[in-house]
This record gives sequence, C-alpha cells and structure tokens, in this order.
Amino acid sequence: MIIDAHVRIGPGRSGGLGVGELVETMDRLGIDRAMIAPGEYATAWDNRGGNDQVTAAAAASGGRLVPYAVANPWARGDAVAELARARDRGARALAVDPALQGFDLLDGLVDPLLAFAQESGWPVYVRTGSPPHAVPLPLASLARRWPSLAFVMGRSGATDFWIDAAPALRHAPNLYADTSYAPWDTVLSEFARDPEIGAGRVVFSTDAPYTVPSAELARITDWPIPDDDRAAVLGGTLERLLD
Amino acid sequence: MIDFHTHTPAWNTVSWLGGATFGVEEFVGFMDACEIDRAVVLSHDGLFNPTPKANDELAAFVRAHPDRLAGFGTVTPRDPDAVAETERMFGELGLKGMKLHPWLQGFSMHEPALDPICEIVAGAGGILLSHDGTPPYSTPSQIAALARRHPRLPVVLGHGGLHDLWREALAMTQETPNLYLCICGTPPYAARTILAEAPAHKVLFGTDAGLSDQASQDYAAARVREIDGWGITAQQRHAMLVENPARLLDAA
Repeated sequence: MIIDAHVRIGPGRSGGLGVGELVETMDRLGIDRAMIAPGEYATAWDNRGGNDQVTAAAAASGGRLVPYAVANPWARGDAVAELARARDRGARALAVDPALQGFDLLDGLVDPLLAFAQESGWPVYVRTGSPPHAVPLPLASLARRWPSLAFVMGRSGATDFWIDAAPALRHAPNLYADTSYAPWDTVLSEFARDPEIGAGRVVFSTDAPYTVPSAELARITDWPIPDDDRAAVLGGTLERLLD
Repeated sequence: MIDFHTHTPAWNTVSWLGGATFGVEEFVGFMDACEIDRAVVLSHDGLFNPTPKANDELAAFVRAHPDRLAGFGTVTPRDPDAVAETERMFGELGLKGMKLHPWLQGFSMHEPALDPICEIVAGAGGILLSHDGTPPYSTPSQIAALARRHPRLPVVLGHGGLHDLWREALAMTQETPNLYLCICGTPPYAARTILAEAPAHKVLFGTDAGLSDQASQDYAAARVREIDGWGITAQQRHAMLVENPARLLDAA
C-alpha cells in the first residue's frame, strides 16, 4: 500500500495539477491512494471552491483520493464553518499553510481550526520551510499544545531548516516528518536512526505539482532500510493516522 | 556536463551535515557514473572554519584532476589576512573562485570588508559563488546588492533561491547583469520557470554532492536523473549543463 500524503489540486503560481494527471501518475508509479489538498489559489483565497473541487474528486475516485480541507484562519468562525461544510462533503484532514494564509503558528489564529480537526479525528498537514513563521520548531510547540492531534511537518523544513527538523520531531511525539525533497542519504537517515524518532514517524509524499513524483518515490524505494520500515513510510503510518 | 556546486569531504569538522569521507578518485568515480565531466568543488570544512588550511586541503584535492575539478576557496571577510589569503588562493593555490556562505560564516553582504576581497577576485578573473535562499544573510537581493558594487565580478547564486526565495532569485538574475543562478536544491517547478524566464546564458546546475552519508553520493546522482522529469527543452538543458558553466569557468 503506497499512500501519497500530500499533493495540491487546482491552480497555483507557476503551474497547477489536474485530477486526471494525478491519477495517471499514480497508475504509472503504483501509488494506491493520495491525499489531495486544494491548490495555492484556493488555500489562500477561494477556500470553498477548493474544498468543493477536492471533495468532488475524492467522491468520484472510489476511495483512491482522500481530501484535505482548507480554510483561512483569519475568517475565524466562518473558517470553522467552512471546515464543517467540507467535512459533510467528505474531507478527512486539515491542511494549513502559514506562508500562504498569513498567520504565525503560535499566534492563536489557527487554534479553532485545530479544535475542529481534533473533534473530527483529522490529521493536520502544515507546510513548513524557511519563512520565519513556517519553520519546524514552532510547529513542534504547537503540536505539544494539541497532543491528541497528529501533525505532518510538510516538507520537513526544506531545505535550510532541515537542521531543525529532527529537534522538532524529538520535541513533539505527535509530529511526523514528510519525505518530499529530503535525500535519504542525509536527512531521512538522520530521522530513521534517531531512537527518539525512527522511520515510523516519517511519511511519504510527492508534494506534486512542485516535484518530479517519480524521483520522490525513487528516493524512498532506493533507501536501504528494512522492508517493514519502508512499508510504514510509504503508507502504513499514514493509514493508521487516517483511521 | 558541468556540476557547478559540489563539496570536498569534511576532514576536520563534525557538524549536523555529517557526510562520508571519500578520496578524490572516489569522487571522480561518482562524476563518471553521473556523466559529469567537470565540477566546481567547494570546501566543506571551510563552511564552518574558513581558514588557509581549509583552502590548502581543497587545493590539494582538486590538483589531482585539474582538467576536471575547479576549486573555489573561502575566507572570513573580517579577518585582517583575508585579502592576502584571497591573493594566495588565486596565485599560489590556483583556485578559480571564492565561495561564501554568509549565514553559516556569520557576515552580511553589505559589510565593507568584502569590497577589497571582491576586487582581488575580479582582478584575478575569478568567480564569486554564494549560498543563497535563506534569511537573514543569504537572500538573493542581498547578494545582488554586492554584485552591483562589483560589476566586473561574476556572482553566482549557489542555490537559485531554494524553495521560498526562488522568485526573488529569478528577478535579481534578470535585473543584475553580472548575477548568475545555479539551480541546486531548487524545486523542479521552480527550475522549470527559471529556465523559461531567466536570461538563457545565466542558468547553471549543481548537485551539492559531497555531503552524503554514502561515498557514492546517492542524492546527487538522483538530482542528475531528476532533470529528465523537469519538462525542459533540450536546448535549455544543454545551456544549463554545458554551455553556460563552460563559458564562465573557461574565462576564470
């Protein structure tokens, strides 16, 4: 079972991804399921349009596509209402992006959305990287405030904040690393060999459309780790989080 | 093909980057396996401790294959001996360029101490390559400001702005005549856009090889293979991998 933990569907800056292209790529690479988030335009602005698109695509996919919901935290109560509407349409996880949506991880704006995710049993994807309000360690502190929620550290701080990713994972046991962009022979091996982290806290994603999906998958299949660990990275852990 | 961004092993430094040690013949073996004809080689120890010793060891490494390896040394810009060390890099040591890593080495590109150093590099016909893509001291526009102060000096953004500043890197490369951009750790969708919109002669490619836990530099080999999936034209690929780096290096 291979599950892609994060792709974005729909328009964004410098390209987008359609459902047909995604499914063709999944078929070609042997990816069984993919979690689909609305694209940049919908994440930043048209939350409703994006949620409608991903939930409709998931509903037509026979269970192959699993939709994230998005809502800009600045909309406060309306954001939670939008998540509830998306849940009614089949959304099964929350995706937030501090850079696109303009909030700090620890400023409180996102907390009502996290309360909703907790009530719904949803995992939460947070895009991280080098923007100062999207780096890994504040995410770890946020995760510690919500210990029963599972957080995926999208992009694991790529690239210069890979240095903070392992300390963040050690700080918050409910935080999971994302494999996109991360070499197995530097970053991922550090996670796997750390007794406080381990391969069971690492989930595979292609982060399409920003990447070459075949290269993202090849890095995991090339990684010399035990088969059980690889199965966990490629989908086992995420399947458990979704259940 | 020319790889414009690689590293020696760290011989004297233990850092979070880790990395396997390897000899120069192993490194050339990696290059052969990836069909890399020539590589720009940067010091690894010098990222953390930019000393003359680091430059000596880099020079010894590249001297084994001068037709295939071009070394770029480094200095601490505020060190009173930095200008003399820069002269030694291009004279006695035969290096081809200067590598700076402002956030690791702890200085701003606006510091006047850099100016006499840059004039030495420019006078020697050398190239300046800087880490970029990361605040607070390595944003593309900060590096472009240095390039504007030294218009004769070719300045290379070593990582094309990485994930969050690649649009700024592209814009700076468009507006700054002597600024070049090396796609290295830059995500594929950004690489595709940069190649479509940057001045065609200004885009380079690097793997960042040398930092792997494996002497075979697996991630670097994967980065070369990944180019096949970028969706770029054969002409763009040839310019990035062959023509542009050769033009810069052969003039150095």
